[in-house]
Amino acid sequence: MFSRDVTFLDVERLNRVAAAAVETFQMDEDTFRAFYDRTARPVWAYLARITGDRSLADDLLQESYYRFLRAERSFTSESHRRNYLYRIATNLAHDRHRQTRGTVTVPVPAEHGPAALTDGHDVAADAERRTDLDRAMAQLKPRERELLWLAYAHGSSHEEIADSLGLRKASIKMLLFRARRRLAGILGAVTPNRAQS
Amino acid sequence: VKAIECPRESDVLDAVASARWPHRVTQELADHVASCGICTDVVVVAEAMRSDHDAIWQQADIPSSGQVWWRAEMRARQEAIRQASRPITIAQGVAALVVLAFATVTGWFAWTWIAHQTPTFKFANVSAQALASPLAASLVVALCALVVIAPVALYLVLSDE
Repeated sequence: MFSRDVTFLDVERLNRVAAAAVETFQMDEDTFRAFYDRTARPVWAYLARITGDRSLADDLLQESYYRFLRAERSFTSESHRRNYLYRIATNLAHDRHRQTRGTVTVPVPAEHGPAALTDGHDVAADAERRTDLDRAMAQLKPRERELLWLAYAHGSSHEEIADSLGLRKASIKMLLFRARRRLAGILGAVTPNRAQS
Repeated sequence: VKAIECPRESDVLDAVASARWPHRVTQELADHVASCGICTDVVVVAEAMRSDHDAIWQQADIPSSGQVWWRAEMRARQEAIRQASRPITIAQGVAALVVLAFATVTGWFAWTWIAHQTPTFKFANVSAQALASPLAASLVVALCALVVIAPVALYLVLSDE
């Protein structure tokens, strides 16, 4: 299409603006890279499990870190910073869920890496268990998936979960109890059926 | 009141997390889990989650930190430039509107002046023969072209990309 004439003064001004934009990031490159290396894998796993979609998790991961860098906040500790990142990721997943409401959630496919074949576990049993979990998780509400993942896969404390999900600490115990009950009920119903067949 | 937590929950979670459950735990803990509904649920859910976590962890194919930083930097620059360019676009739009208004007012005054100078002139009196002359025909074509091209030109000037 048509491009507007831009003067040298405009170019200089816009260059200054662009350089200043990066200065508004809340950490420098080295600090960010260290923080990313520590947190990206668990955040991706969290996003993949709560959305049930690996490629969506890839997109949301990038977006989460971008918003985190642009956030004008100060953090008191590493844990506070990490919880804030999880909160951004959770909100993005919720937004995406609202946009695609009505579509069927596809569970994360169970792939078996070489490590799974060599570590002495029963690969077939592991695969069956994960398929059961995929189906069971798909029946839960997004909030229940988030709570259970953070508590039992990630090993977060109630306080960290509350901070990450933007909930009151006092309500975590009850919400977690209900979500756990529900998942255990679904898994319990699936496993005996499998044993019989 | 129905209990929603058990004091042994953390022991059970520790045992699952450290892969001690079910073979390397004390008999007392195993007996407790067998008799406690809450701890039974904890074992079922925590075992499934841990094994799923390990599998997903291995599947994770995340971009490098340098790549993510670079993309964020590019995006921040583009957003800043877009934001800074907005006043220029607005100024150009205002200038175009002023020119358009000026042309309309000038055209209006010119038309009333012409009408005043030639009071007998009426479109209805213009014969078809006069319009068919080569000069009038080219004038009409030029006017039509102007009417079509002017909005397109304005759109191109005011559009961002």
